[in-house]
Amino acid sequence: MTSSELESQLVIGAVLFALGMIGFLTRRNLILIVLSTELMLHGVSVNLTAFGRYHGNPQGQVFTIFVLTIAACEAGLALSLILTLYQRRKSLDVYLWGNLGEDDLPVFTGGGTAQQTKPLDPNADLPHLTPAGRAPATPATKT
Amino acid sequence: MKNGALLIPVVLGWLAVWWMLPREKGRSRILGALMALGALLALQVTFLPPVVNLPPVDNFVRNSLFYLFSGTAILSGGLMITDRNPVFAALWFALSTLAVCGLFLLNSAPFLSAATIIVYAGAIVVTFLFVIMLAQQSGASNYDHHAVQPVMASVMSFVLLGALLFALQEWGGIDGKAADEVKAGQFVAQDAKVRANIFSRPPSSNPDEIGSMRVLGRSLFSDYLYFVELVGTVLLIATIGAIAIAPRRSQGTL
Repeated sequence: MTSSELESQLVIGAVLFALGMIGFLTRRNLILIVLSTELMLHGVSVNLTAFGRYHGNPQGQVFTIFVLTIAACEAGLALSLILTLYQRRKSLDVYLWGNLGEDDLPVFTGGGTAQQTKPLDPNADLPHLTPAGRAPATPATKT
Repeated sequence: MKNGALLIPVVLGWLAVWWMLPREKGRSRILGALMALGALLALQVTFLPPVVNLPPVDNFVRNSLFYLFSGTAILSGGLMITDRNPVFAALWFALSTLAVCGLFLLNSAPFLSAATIIVYAGAIVVTFLFVIMLAQQSGASNYDHHAVQPVMASVMSFVLLGALLFALQEWGGIDGKAADEVKAGQFVAQDAKVRANIFSRPPSSNPDEIGSMRVLGRSLFSDYLYFVELVGTVLLIATIGAIAIAPRRSQGTL
């Protein structure tokens, strides 16, 4: 493998990384944000395997296997987090989770509306205790 | 200006992506496709080797496959970040993954290519599609039609891409250069006597064997033995964590 071939592979990796970055920054769907990070990982993997072939050693491929493993972990964790968030708000819109900032910070809306659907149970966001023991007898129930 | 030709693919690519980013009113896809094709052609002229490189026939086949796979990867990646329908976006991501696997094959990594197809196309994309279809049963929703800060985000990403391409163009490969020109940042081959741990064996000297299962497995399970164990532990912990985080299905719904 000549270094001009290596260079063309590095160009492809850089373009894939930039595309994934645009997707990560501009999409509002939680799932597409995570998929865009996977696209960035693809760009990095192309770089690693190209360098491995250029230098004639297996280390690039070994690193890519590790990247693949961590990407699988990340996808599983991200999916369970997204499911939890979806259950709270019944929507995959990332704007609905913009209330973690301070109140006086500007809110970038960028067009469109964030349709917040109220959860069925107004206390669903709060932690709740499992009821235990007997209900105490009150005068009202005695009579 | 020596690197001025670099601006053409970067600016054209930015125009194409910015034009196609999701909006309330869809824009002409033909114009976006033309700009994207122009950007790819300019990138090819600026950076990549010519397709017809006839004397060794091997090179022609290899270059054609390279252009097929890389063009598919970039185009479907661009369509993934600009498609207004999340289901189609996930499918474009699967196509991009397949093309990247083709690039892995060209880099003599057949095992990695098969593993990536199985893990990504077989597991990740399918589960993400499940979640999209369960969550958006009423079809495309409002928030998929609006991009967050489209101008700033795309300009920033393409500035980064331009910087990367500029660095690559300045580097320009080391094939025809004198030894004293390339001494900075050179790759230093691993000393054959240095061993990572007691299981390590000296690396294979046959260049054709790179990427074979034998060399890869021997490197993975001798030089990187501790890391394999560590990554296995991380995978186990992530599985347990995902089960712990995943919501309980109290109402029988997602």
